[in-house]
Amino acid sequence: MSKIIIKDVAKRYANGFEALKGVSAEIPAGSFTVILGPSGAGKSTLLRTINGLETPTSGSVQIGEQPVTHASLRAVRAQVGMVFQHFNLVDRLSVMTNVLTGRLSHRSWLGSLLYLFQRGDMDIAHDALIRVGLTDKAWSRADKLSGGQQQRVGIARALAQQPRVILADEPVASLDPVTSEEIMGLLREICTRDGITIVVNLHQVELAKRFADRVIGLNEGVVVYDGVAGGLDRATLSRIYNRNGDQVDEQLETMLAYA
Amino acid sequence: MSSSRLCWPTPNGLPALGPTAVLAACVALLAISGPAVELDLMRLIAAIPRMIEFGGHLLVLPDWEYLPTLGVNMLQTLEMTFLATSIALVVSLPLGVLAAANASPHPMVFHITRNLLTLMRALPELVWALVFVSAVGLGPLPGIMALAFVTVGFMGKFFAESIEVIDLRQVEGVAAHGAGWLQLRTFAFFPQAFPDFVGTVMYILDHNLRAAAILGLVGAGGIGYDLVMAMRMFDYDRLLPIALSIYVVVTVLDRLSDRFRRRLI
Repeated sequence: MSKIIIKDVAKRYANGFEALKGVSAEIPAGSFTVILGPSGAGKSTLLRTINGLETPTSGSVQIGEQPVTHASLRAVRAQVGMVFQHFNLVDRLSVMTNVLTGRLSHRSWLGSLLYLFQRGDMDIAHDALIRVGLTDKAWSRADKLSGGQQQRVGIARALAQQPRVILADEPVASLDPVTSEEIMGLLREICTRDGITIVVNLHQVELAKRFADRVIGLNEGVVVYDGVAGGLDRATLSRIYNRNGDQVDEQLETMLAYA
Repeated sequence: MSSSRLCWPTPNGLPALGPTAVLAACVALLAISGPAVELDLMRLIAAIPRMIEFGGHLLVLPDWEYLPTLGVNMLQTLEMTFLATSIALVVSLPLGVLAAANASPHPMVFHITRNLLTLMRALPELVWALVFVSAVGLGPLPGIMALAFVTVGFMGKFFAESIEVIDLRQVEGVAAHGAGWLQLRTFAFFPQAFPDFVGTVMYILDHNLRAAAILGLVGAGGIGYDLVMAMRMFDYDRLLPIALSIYVVVTVLDRLSDRFRRRLI
């Protein structure tokens, strides 16, 4: 629903590591974009600059008309949902309460101090749980669920927020292949049906090819590919997975064989 | 050399130098400090008959007429404990957040709160009770104030430490969805630190009961006054029931808190 404009974003960490070396991209509203790249390419850093979990050293990010700055952080996050590799649910809270934390940006601090929500929030959270098929687990403690179920709670939490954008940072990296398939399918369906802009970090070429409208290939903090998923040919992939200028090793051969 | 000869697990089989030196230093320190506190063996041996005599005095039938008063005073002690702990709990929760490095709004606030908590628990309950007795007069009120005061010092610190070890990923999960400062503390920090909080409260409740039992010493209410009076007036028929009742109440509270904690976690 909102387009994302990333302009010359660079990020250097305190230890001197340069995660992003001037990345620019425009992600159209309502699209399903995959950021693809090897570990350490800067995928997470890039995704996290979009909702201000990381602050770029230079460059800017804009969601819709709203620039992401320290001052606009809460306003930005109120319209951007996020799904994490390790789910990042609050273990000791019920599934329902976890989903309801997606509504917190609409609630006052005073009511929240007493864990109070509005009936309307409960309805939204309930609908979100229906979408991910977990209504029967609503009152279980979050840490009692399996990994795949926890990730679906994570998606329900993002949905409950009724966001314009959902960011997913390696959402299937801790899950088995079948569950990964379900989770990616769910995200794809949310994109298509609700028109929410979805940006997913992945390291699996095969999933990127099947689910993405568009792929941004990242390697060592630089965009090396930006185009449709269909354009991911051998040459492109070897550029994405290239290390230190060396020719790509056998691992890529295996990976391509599965792709 | 026989292979069954005993030796230490060091290259030469002799005791390691470091631990031996520390042990020797400790023994030397004790030898020096013993006489300073008049701990001398001969005096201890000489006191044995007196101890037996005192022990004999304890074995008398309790003063039955005193028992109802004991019950009332014990109840007062319990009430002081619960009241002081509850007041301290309410004050400690926000102070604990301010004194936790990862939840405090600013490093300055963190340091100030930490120092405040240290000050509160620097002196024992009895000393604060003396202060409050001078301020508000005799009775349970200064006792409760003193107890709550020191308890905040401990509880705030324990709460802060429980908050500092939580998993930040869970916090990020809530923060990413636009939760505010206080909402983060309510929904992401608090649930994670909660089991530790319960453990702390239970431990402190137990400690406070014992502390409340001696506050009467300085006229700050509770069973302690009776205990001291019985001791001074040689009312041995009251001394034993008082000591026993304290023991029973502490034990019951301990069992109850154990059961409660296990159910909660």
